[in-house]
Amino acid sequence: MKKKLALALAATMAFSIFTGCGPKEPAPAGSSNPPAVSGSQSKPQTSDLKAAVFYYNFADPYITTVRTAMDKELKALGIEHQNFDATTNQGLQTDQVNTAITDGYNLLIINVVDNAAPDAAQAMVNAAKEKNIPVILFNREVDDSVIKSYEASAFVGTDAPEAGHMQGKMIGEYLLANYDKYDLNGDGEISYVMFKGQEGNAEAEARTQYAVEDADAMLKEAGKPALKFYDAKNDKKYLVDQTGAWGAQAATDYMSVIMSEYNDANKNMVELVIANNDGMAEGAISALQGVGFNNDASKAIPVFGVDALASACEKIDAGQMAGTVKQDGEAMAATIAALVKNIQNGAAIMDNTSSYNVDEGVAKIRVPYALYTK
Amino acid sequence: MSKESQALAKEAQSKQPLTKNQVIDKLLNNALYILMIIAVIIIQIINPKFLAPASLINILNQTAAYLPAALGIAGCIVLTGTDLSAGRAIGLTACISASLLQNPESANKMWTAIGCLPIPVVILIVMAIGAVIGIFNGFFVAKFKLHPFIVTLATQLILFTFMLTYVKMGNNNGMAIASLDNSYSNFIKGSLVKIPTGNNTSIPIPNYVWISLFLVVMMWFIWNKTTFGKNMFALGANEEAAKVSGVNVMLTTIAVFALAGAMYGITGFIEGARVASNNANTGLNYELDAIAACVIGGVSFVGGIGKISGVVIGVLLLRLIYIGLNFAHVPPDMFYLVKGGIILFACALDMRKYLVKK
Repeated sequence: MKKKLALALAATMAFSIFTGCGPKEPAPAGSSNPPAVSGSQSKPQTSDLKAAVFYYNFADPYITTVRTAMDKELKALGIEHQNFDATTNQGLQTDQVNTAITDGYNLLIINVVDNAAPDAAQAMVNAAKEKNIPVILFNREVDDSVIKSYEASAFVGTDAPEAGHMQGKMIGEYLLANYDKYDLNGDGEISYVMFKGQEGNAEAEARTQYAVEDADAMLKEAGKPALKFYDAKNDKKYLVDQTGAWGAQAATDYMSVIMSEYNDANKNMVELVIANNDGMAEGAISALQGVGFNNDASKAIPVFGVDALASACEKIDAGQMAGTVKQDGEAMAATIAALVKNIQNGAAIMDNTSSYNVDEGVAKIRVPYALYTK
Repeated sequence: MSKESQALAKEAQSKQPLTKNQVIDKLLNNALYILMIIAVIIIQIINPKFLAPASLINILNQTAAYLPAALGIAGCIVLTGTDLSAGRAIGLTACISASLLQNPESANKMWTAIGCLPIPVVILIVMAIGAVIGIFNGFFVAKFKLHPFIVTLATQLILFTFMLTYVKMGNNNGMAIASLDNSYSNFIKGSLVKIPTGNNTSIPIPNYVWISLFLVVMMWFIWNKTTFGKNMFALGANEEAAKVSGVNVMLTTIAVFALAGAMYGITGFIEGARVASNNANTGLNYELDAIAACVIGGVSFVGGIGKISGVVIGVLLLRLIYIGLNFAHVPPDMFYLVKGGIILFACALDMRKYLVKK
């Protein structure tokens, strides 16, 4: 009896393999020609495109603004799509991509989790290339070699170092406008804290490096000494969120510890806070407010962030924060949508992008940053 | 052994001179405190500002901030359980507190239809939400005899969906929930008491320290002076025995988790204003710190054992490590090694007591 049952089961399983493949057979075949690659092929129907969008982390506020905007853009284009959350786990994302490919999605939009090395992104692009599925990577920088390896791939992001450069320039200008006022203890130097969002992330590395370097260069030109990290014993010259979450809480806890050692009473108050993102800047401000600073412009040390979160802009207007660099999530989604439209119309992925800021020799579009100060 | 005979035995012991083994026992039983004192002395030598008033108050503040969650979770551990949903519950209630108490003038207010609610109302709302989460946990633990690890793991995941959805609701669009109303910021971060340090300077003690202190007293009372507290310990020590002696297992379990949930609600309320920038990541991994603090403080996974004073010391010790290592300029990469080592050491010491008994 048991044997018969097993046999029957095996038979149905074997059968289901065939039937399972049956209806799907045309799908990969279909996706292998039209959606992207060249403009010469016939125009696919709107309903042909089934997009899978992979985000590195739903919980990231900036990424959420991109996600909301992207949902709208794709809906406007009449494209059925599904979002995936990798919860900062590259292994999970790779699985999600592979599953989506077998599920018949014929457009992949990927916000890579692990960009410290090109391998993870390359593996996902290779998987798409095998099935001739176009891929748009976005937000987190990927190596040029990844994009070059597949003609139906493109990257939409920002120029990672640019945010750092802009932050540095903003800091330099801000300090030089009223140097003596910001030098609280009058020792001729500005001591600072740097909050880094995550180790090994290209954006975080660039912001951490260039914000200080560029500000230093401007100070030097004006005959002032370079910025001085508040803690001479810390060789790295930054404090990092050990969880890699770019979190406000890490900044609050660090900052309140710092304030208990470096404060007004000890005449060694920290005179400048630079954060990789607005969340960390806001966390630092909360701790500063705990010791009576940064409630308004009358008694405040300058705090700088990146992202231009609405709440951060409001703090800047209220004089609690000095400035931020705007990373425009809606513009990012709109740029990606323009590429999706190309694919939808059967054009090459990078057609009609002359109005964008495109890297030379590689299909990478840069969405510009903007400054936000009072 | 009844309490009286235990006390008698102790008295008899104390009258005799200590043998070498007893001295070692005493040292080992208090090894954690001895190490803590040594560590404080070493850090103080490396960095003399460690025990300055400003730093001491900061240690107090951070201990107070992390305490309520640990007080809640301790009850779950006494029942031989745990609560992995604590962090997400804190995050959710922090987001809700912040969103209900935003500055009405703010352009990016999440709920434009309501102004800034009165603070007591919001405290009650988040406590109720926390308690409902706790009741949910407790119900599945008690009714289906599922291990709390499983139930609360599931709840943790479910709550994350709520959080992701919540931060996208109203006007917020996934942004950080900040722009808090002054009434809220002042209620948590303002200070009724300032410690004067001479030279016309003073160090404010933020109000949430008093909230924490109140919760410690309240929890001590609940644990030690109420039938519910006694039932909880009885249940944790031996469920069968407790059942036979008339403890309502279902109700007690649910109540312990509900109380824990209410504590997460208060923690969320405090963190919402303390960190002042809330998103879907808020509260991540809080439960791990809280559980670690409890086990360091001698709340045992064996069940039925633990003291409020232990929880307070556990939280204090964890904060001392974090702040002390910062002051001693130890590279942050090493923090986790130290933390892990101490948890292991503390629990090994703890278990040693019971192994000896057996």
